[in-house]
Amino acid sequence: MRRLILLLCSLLICLPLQAAEVIFSAASDSDSLRAFMQALARQRPQDRFEFRTPTQLQQNAPASDARLVVLDLETLDWRLRQHAMPATLVIRISRFEGTQLLAGRPHPGVTLLWSDPPPHRQVQLARLLLPNSKRLGLLYDQESAFLLDDYRQAADALGLELQTRKWNPQGSRRPLLALLASSDLLLGIDAPRLYNADTIKSLLLTSYARNRALLGPTAGFVRAGSLASTFSDQQDWLDELNDWLDRPASQWPPSAYPSHFKVVSNRQVARALGLAIDDDDALTRQLAAGETR
Amino acid sequence: MLNPRLLHSVLFLCCLAPESFAQGQDLFLDEPLPEVLTATRLKQAPAAVPGSVSVIDRTLIEASGARDIPELMRLVPGMMVGYTNGNQSTVNYHGGRVSEARRLQVLIDGRSVYRPGLATVDWTDLPLAIEDIERIEVFRGPNTVSYGANALMGVISITTRQPADATGTRIKYTRGERGINVWYGSQGFSSENADFLLSLSGQSDNGFDHTDLGTKYRDSRRSTRMLLSASHSLEPNQNLDWQLALKEGSNQRGVYSNEIALIQGAVPVIDNSRDVEARDFAGSLRWTLDIDPSHSIQVQSSLQQWQRRQEWSACDLALSFTPEVSALFNLRPDALDTVANILERFNDPTLIPLQVARGRYYSAAEAPLALAINDYYFAPGGTYRAPVCGSLNNNIDETRFDLEIQDTLSLGENLRLLSGASYRKDRTVSETYFGGALENEIWRLFGHLEWYLSEQWVLQGGAMLEDDQLSGFSLTPRIALNYLITPRHGLRFVYSEAVRSPDMFENDVRWTYRLENLSPQIGGSNSAYYYASANGPGDLDQEIMRSREIGYNGHFDFGLSIDIKLFNDEVHQMISEPLKIDDFAPSNDNYMWIRGAETEIDWQILDSDRLRITYAYIRDFKSSEKSHGRLTARNSGSAGWMRNWGNNWSSSLFYHGADLLNERRFERIDLRVAKRFRIGEAELELAAMLQQRLDDEALTWRENLYDDRRVVYASAQLEF
Repeated sequence: MRRLILLLCSLLICLPLQAAEVIFSAASDSDSLRAFMQALARQRPQDRFEFRTPTQLQQNAPASDARLVVLDLETLDWRLRQHAMPATLVIRISRFEGTQLLAGRPHPGVTLLWSDPPPHRQVQLARLLLPNSKRLGLLYDQESAFLLDDYRQAADALGLELQTRKWNPQGSRRPLLALLASSDLLLGIDAPRLYNADTIKSLLLTSYARNRALLGPTAGFVRAGSLASTFSDQQDWLDELNDWLDRPASQWPPSAYPSHFKVVSNRQVARALGLAIDDDDALTRQLAAGETR
Repeated sequence: MLNPRLLHSVLFLCCLAPESFAQGQDLFLDEPLPEVLTATRLKQAPAAVPGSVSVIDRTLIEASGARDIPELMRLVPGMMVGYTNGNQSTVNYHGGRVSEARRLQVLIDGRSVYRPGLATVDWTDLPLAIEDIERIEVFRGPNTVSYGANALMGVISITTRQPADATGTRIKYTRGERGINVWYGSQGFSSENADFLLSLSGQSDNGFDHTDLGTKYRDSRRSTRMLLSASHSLEPNQNLDWQLALKEGSNQRGVYSNEIALIQGAVPVIDNSRDVEARDFAGSLRWTLDIDPSHSIQVQSSLQQWQRRQEWSACDLALSFTPEVSALFNLRPDALDTVANILERFNDPTLIPLQVARGRYYSAAEAPLALAINDYYFAPGGTYRAPVCGSLNNNIDETRFDLEIQDTLSLGENLRLLSGASYRKDRTVSETYFGGALENEIWRLFGHLEWYLSEQWVLQGGAMLEDDQLSGFSLTPRIALNYLITPRHGLRFVYSEAVRSPDMFENDVRWTYRLENLSPQIGGSNSAYYYASANGPGDLDQEIMRSREIGYNGHFDFGLSIDIKLFNDEVHQMISEPLKIDDFAPSNDNYMWIRGAETEIDWQILDSDRLRITYAYIRDFKSSEKSHGRLTARNSGSAGWMRNWGNNWSSSLFYHGADLLNERRFERIDLRVAKRFRIGEAELELAAMLQQRLDDEALTWRENLYDDRRVVYASAQLEF
């Protein structure tokens, strides 16, 4: 009998304090979205998950204690124009996209979880991979200039010097060449006009010809020839959302970077540059340890 | 090639949950971009290179203040730089004859620039301005495996500026003592998928000032050059680069004595200028295709022409044109020499008959000729002692066509294969040197394998198979083992063989001088062949070199790079006799053995200072002929300190020294000071250069003298 009561009590303790309704919203449905939602549902059996498009949300407003997860820009744009929507988490949005869309408007009740690697983490990775590089080089353009402050702060915190140059890929290559000459490493930032499928070939060949590694801007560039980048994959996002949903919505900040991440590196490029770097798991562990401290 | 780690995490996640996770992968990760730094594009890390490589980059070129490539070669350990005159220099690696340097392969953007007929490199006449050079890589050691025969002792590979890196305008003007006058202008422009660079330049200076006999030295040079290069991006995986280069100019050559006259000093020199009009043309095309990230192909073709016009008038006694003189020369040039000496020194018609009577000086065939010449000389009326003048030339046109295909294949993560084939056709046209035209075809097959046995051991091997129409077949292998203590520190053990095919001049020359416009005429004709002639043996074998090397290459985190090389090189079947028309007997009977060590240290101290030291020590030098050792210094090297003072001021100080270069000590200090100004979007750089000789020797040969041991010149460069 006592054991039964003990069992019942433990079960009660195990039960979540509240079961929430979690609504995923995107402009269009897809298999991968559904799979992701189901994976999260499996991790959080206490919550109810469903998918609704913005139109459906319009018609059938969710309860105020529900949680909304927005997965694309269109839906975010729609959400920002609503007044009576529950606390929202936005994923799959980069700082560049977010800043362009928000244009400085306040967004109460909406928390943006950025998809691009956080500046402090990338700078920390740079420090880890090339401990003797003191000067980081950074290219930016008009639209991505707002990111510079974060990078500068991150570099200052680690005692590194940040060299920046404004650059137009259509124009002269002199800023790029000058930057490569005055820095030890090229740090890629989330500037779609500077780093894309068209510009990456020339950027990588030029920096490689001068023995300079490119870090980032995202994991997708590592295969092309970037040395390494941090990134958050599906499992990381599952864990991330899990953490956020456990926290009360009143404690949600306007924006944040995911705390779950991994490192991916290009070993061939490392070998050609004469760098001895740890394997990706070890790098991930070292970076993560640095962050919890 | 998908990054193995990424693939790993994807697979791992797939194992975690059976649902369609792979589809979920693209929710959060961007489609990876296509590979740019593919296995075929990635170069080896310096510690894994199977040999010693010195790199002279743009910064070093500018800091050195050098106006010519041979002067830049003083920065490479083991390079011996010599000057024949103000516009002819020779660059030898470790040693060899001072006057002919034909054992180095020199390439400009992959195009070989040594002359097919005479196998020299005319440094002054290269259609390239030093301002157009992006970097020079010097492979110190034989590398026929990658660069073909003629890369016997080393390879100097010059890479010009990429058009894409040179957008905008640049103008530069240099002026100084010794008639130094250099101008340069370039314009880069780009269109949709192509980048272009056009550069025009000119150079002139006065060369040496006076000879050891006190006469003025006539060796100025003047040249104008044009370079047009383009790079087209045809497709994301296809590129086309082409280049057009021209050089036009003249180099002064003085005539100080009528050195080919039969009897020296008998007839005064009437024309003391034997200037060379030199024109070089070159066009090349390179097509690169990346079939997939692990396989790429490159096809390169080039067409070059060298035109040299050297015409002058010479006079000699009518005696020189008698058939007996040329007959005696063909029998034995020394016999003719003896006769000429006697006639010149003693005005006695009885001496030669006396010698003949003694029977010791002339053979049975030579005696009657000697007597006949004597009779002519002392014939009454002195008809044979009258001067005859005519014009002669050293004109030569050389053409080279080259087609090469190179395939780079990455067979897995640890194996890379480079293979290729090439065809070259050389054609030389010269009445003086070859009595017409001479052609040669060379077929070449080469392969090189790079195998990472483990992360630390790299085994590399290769071979070149060459079929030279004029010299035959050759196979040269190379094998190297590198041990990477860390990815940045490596030891290397290299054994390589190399061959050098005798060039057209050594083996097949038909050297004759035909004097035209004779006055007075001889035998009713206004042209006649000069008595001296030389014929190449035609059966020379290739020179063989065997080189053993142990080296270390390391890069330290605080900016220090060190490369040390210990070498043991032997050249067999060496063709090394002097090649003069009256002394032309090349053979494969010579050899050279060199053993020593050399080092290169480059230290970038923070961002402000850079120290660069090179040193070569030749421990043993044995050769079949003393003259080979003339251009080999036992100790030679350079030391440089480059500093960025801040506020856009920079300076560089270099010391170059060699204890013996052609048995003359050489020491020089170079100082350059520069300041940059920003004028709006433009950048102006003003620089002053001072070169001070610390020794008081002539430069390479005793007649190469300057009035002053110091020279100063200044330059201004505007970029916008």
